[in-house]
Amino acid sequence: MTSDHDVFAELAAVYAVGALDGDDLVRFETHLAEGCQRCTRVLAESREALTRMALAEPPAPPPAEVKTALLARVREEEPRPPRRPHSRASWVPWAAATAAVAVVAAMLSGGTVASRYEARLGQMARETAAARERLQRNEAALREEMTVYRSAVELLRDPATRVVELRGAGPSPEARGRLVWHPTAGGHLVVANLPPAPTGKGYELWTLGGPAPRPAGVFQVDASGRAIHRVEPAPGAVAKFAVTLEPEAGVPAPTGPIVLASR
Amino acid sequence: MTTRGEDLIRRMAAGDREAFGPFYDRYAPLVYPLVVRIVRDRTDAADVLQDVFWEAWQGATAYDPARGSPEAWMITRARARALDRVRALRRRSETFVPAVDEAPAPAGAGGDAAALAGDRGLIRTALAQLSAVQREAIELAYYAGLTQTEIARRLEQPLGTIKTRIRLGLERLRDAVRRVT
Repeated sequence: MTSDHDVFAELAAVYAVGALDGDDLVRFETHLAEGCQRCTRVLAESREALTRMALAEPPAPPPAEVKTALLARVREEEPRPPRRPHSRASWVPWAAATAAVAVVAAMLSGGTVASRYEARLGQMARETAAARERLQRNEAALREEMTVYRSAVELLRDPATRVVELRGAGPSPEARGRLVWHPTAGGHLVVANLPPAPTGKGYELWTLGGPAPRPAGVFQVDASGRAIHRVEPAPGAVAKFAVTLEPEAGVPAPTGPIVLASR
Repeated sequence: MTTRGEDLIRRMAAGDREAFGPFYDRYAPLVYPLVVRIVRDRTDAADVLQDVFWEAWQGATAYDPARGSPEAWMITRARARALDRVRALRRRSETFVPAVDEAPAPAGAGGDAAALAGDRGLIRTALAQLSAVQREAIELAYYAGLTQTEIARRLEQPLGTIKTRIRLGLERLRDAVRRVT
């Protein structure tokens, strides 16, 4: 192996401890995506070594109530259809869902620093690389997810991008939203704590700024009250955003209660 | 060859609720100390612990033994969730830094406590082979969740120096672990 690879050995180490950021991160992920077996092996070994380090913490007994609560949750959960481990059918939605949860958490937890998102993307790129190996061509779902996250990160790098907070209103005061918005590229709305819409209903996003609210798409939240919704750029200036509960096909003008609104 | 941990995860993936209790008993004592170290508050640590195990229950189908040990699977997840929690808390209160509430740990907390205690001593010995600056850089990344740029800024060192410290430190750690295990 040529000494050219030494650079990547260093980047691999920093990546393994989760500290790679900026251009280095992009460079290393590209290298990994090209299938470098050496770096893949170093990362796996590093992960195990760091695990050993973490396991060497002084012992502390986990609180008993955590187990009690978890056992109750597991017991009360609806029975799941048995699934074959690592089958295509089960792995892809899980990976996509986990990635989505991670990104929703990262976006909602408010660090608008691009490096944080990149760190998340780093993990997801690794997941995707593994998926590719296992799933060969069947990773369309993951690709789509990755596209969303990549474009969110790109948006965050652009100084014209705004991050708009949405607060719960009306029937859902606990709901929270954050919209990464670019005037010409559009953006992504991330929502949490919004109760799933009743059957036949959906949540519709509106951009406000012109004479009347403009529809910006209908979305559904998952069972945990989260959603990521791609928002197309709107013509004209957009000052505010709001979400209302509407028929699931969407309506041209708002009719239902406002559940989320920017200030 | 499958280990007991892998077997439990496979059963959880198949929806076997009976596997969850033993799985928790086996891994919670391993994961919890790390979570406490990162979040530093026992109430928060308990929340994180619950999240981590709930995710493990729900995500058991995704575990692939070829990609790492069950310990690494759980520790990686626990570290990520604990750092998420710390970041959320930091934003809520930029200045509030709680003290670590140290409680004495009873012996035999986990199923493999004795074996783990032995490992723990060996890993400590291994960690002692890292220089102080190597260890500091790795710990700031791993336990405090800082990026290389943040570490360089905090330690007032060039970025290249930080990268080198992390690489050399991690190489030593890998070597040491290889010898121990």
